[in-house]
Amino acid sequence: MRNLTLITMMLALLLATGAVFGQNANEIMKKSHMAYYYAGDDGIAEVTMRITDKRGKERIKEFTMLRMDESDGGSQKYYTYFRKPSDVSRLTFMVHKSPDGNDQRWIYIPSIDLVKPISADDKNSSFVGSHFSYEDVSGRHWTEDKHTMLSDSTIDGRGVFVIESVPIEDDKSLARKVSYIDKENYLPLLEEYYNKKGKLERLFKAGKIEEIDGFTTMTTRSMENLKKKGKTIIEFSSIRYNVGLKSDFFTERYLKNPPRQFIK
Amino acid sequence: MKRISIIILAALSLTAGPAMAEVTIDGFLQTLYGGRIDESNPTATEQTASETRMQLRAEHYGDGVEFFGRLDFVYDGADSSRYDWELREGYMKFRLGRRFDFKVGRQILTWGTGDLIFINDVFAKDYRSFFIGRDDQYLKAPQNAIRADFYSGLGALSLVWTPRFEPNRLPTGRRLSYFNGVEIVGEGSFFNPPTPEAKFENSELAMRLNRRIGSFATSLYFYKGFYKNPLGVVMVDETMMPVYPKLNVYGASIRGPIAGGIIWIEGGYFDSREDLNGDDPMMPNSSLTGLAGFERQIATNLTANLQWQVDMISDWDTYKAQREAAGSFVRDEIRHLLTSRVTRLMYDELVNLSLFVFYSPTDEDGYFRGSVSYKYTDELELALGVNIFEGKNQATEFGQFEKNDNVYLKLTYGF
Repeated sequence: MRNLTLITMMLALLLATGAVFGQNANEIMKKSHMAYYYAGDDGIAEVTMRITDKRGKERIKEFTMLRMDESDGGSQKYYTYFRKPSDVSRLTFMVHKSPDGNDQRWIYIPSIDLVKPISADDKNSSFVGSHFSYEDVSGRHWTEDKHTMLSDSTIDGRGVFVIESVPIEDDKSLARKVSYIDKENYLPLLEEYYNKKGKLERLFKAGKIEEIDGFTTMTTRSMENLKKKGKTIIEFSSIRYNVGLKSDFFTERYLKNPPRQFIK
Repeated sequence: MKRISIIILAALSLTAGPAMAEVTIDGFLQTLYGGRIDESNPTATEQTASETRMQLRAEHYGDGVEFFGRLDFVYDGADSSRYDWELREGYMKFRLGRRFDFKVGRQILTWGTGDLIFINDVFAKDYRSFFIGRDDQYLKAPQNAIRADFYSGLGALSLVWTPRFEPNRLPTGRRLSYFNGVEIVGEGSFFNPPTPEAKFENSELAMRLNRRIGSFATSLYFYKGFYKNPLGVVMVDETMMPVYPKLNVYGASIRGPIAGGIIWIEGGYFDSREDLNGDDPMMPNSSLTGLAGFERQIATNLTANLQWQVDMISDWDTYKAQREAAGSFVRDEIRHLLTSRVTRLMYDELVNLSLFVFYSPTDEDGYFRGSVSYKYTDELELALGVNIFEGKNQATEFGQFEKNDNVYLKLTYGF
């Protein structure tokens, strides 16, 4: 009788841990997604992108980015106001991002007063000519991949979970991604993107990580494209969280008239 | 001496400091060289463009009010008036309460859904620039206007009042030839029809009600003014003079995402107010026009669209009889126009290959625009382009420009 109780208890424990382990990778990726893309209810940052091509030529893009979450882990709205280079200055760009993948994008070109919706089918397109894709910038929802814990490791002395993510729906270019997630703040410190041939195609690296308004924030990051032999470094500055952005700011009215209280 | 300058500097910085807010200035320097391909073009010059342009943009915003200026200085070697300048934009923007936005001054105005087809966008276009390879922004000519936008739960109501009529800028014969009703003319046929008198009754009014329904943007439009092209004729001292006939336009449009792309449908009724019965041979007949378009990304960095426009002229039988009697070209009652744009980005979006084709199976004419541009650095861009016009008949929309085929080279330095 006592043996039976013990066996039952052990079995239960085993099942429980099994469940915990199975859930773990998914839970971690969700937490990581939340920490990386959903910090606060909204946020503003000045962004500088340094794009280096294979010949070593550097191009710089500067813009202000506004983000607002409709719900945690749910729909988001993005607003981008370009400053540099000169040929895109004052151009604005807006995304209504929905976790079901039906994103909507608009661009406003002030020199011809043109508001234009953009077909947003291809998420792997480069974001403004950089080595980051649209999806890299606004996030790939964690439910679109199947996650498996590979191991524990350390990067620069910080403990990380090593997790492999495989797209549930077949993806044109990506076969799998291996993420190294910081065990304390859940930010991705390293991501390896493998193509269908099993070759490492892109490499994401976290840079500086700072505490801003109580949120652990990655203020520099880079993406290297090993196939194209190019690299983009993104720097965020003047970051503010929970500034009180309203849904109204992410409409055509503000696309044409940037909210000057935030975009100076 | 040194001390004095320090005092002056200090005084200046004290007085000027907070009051003198920042004015941002940027712009570009651009050279454009173009030449005609067709030797038989009867224009005064073989050069469709030979110009250096400097655009300065100035911007300033204070408490709730914004100012923006865009000023172009041009040295134009292909024209007789060599130095030229234009205030492309110069407006103030401000908000009254929470629901009213105002934009007052010289401005570029665009609405409607068509890609280079304009139905309810009855704002001034500059085809002189468009046909010779100037940047896209020059397709739009500025208007001196007061624009008010009112936002409510019903949608956004926009009102644009242009006190003085602003016509389209059409080829004048100087560097681009055109069809004068009899033949294609160039040199010596300088074309500059008089605009309606500067009276309040001759001002232009454009309205739009814009409302989102789900993920679709729907709009209703109204315009009261004049045809932007001089489509009418009056007799002055026994000579025919082209004029801008009175026009009202009523229209609607819808645009939104579908099947991984964007679809748009727009329609409008061009109500020719000086030819209500369609029987005046000197004035254009009313017409009903509609277009449908679809755009989507067909591969990474490759986007294409297709448009189909149908234009139906009213009282076609009367029109036909009159035209035949005068020995003029008779258009079909229903005119079809197909267009397609293909844009290909290459080399990290540094190279942009763009093709745009207009083709009308009923008018049997077409227009091809092709360009390739390369961003050598963030500042410097090099572009090469071509404009080709074809037409079976010289009286059709593109057929009249058939001798204006040209190539151009453009260098732009942005700062």
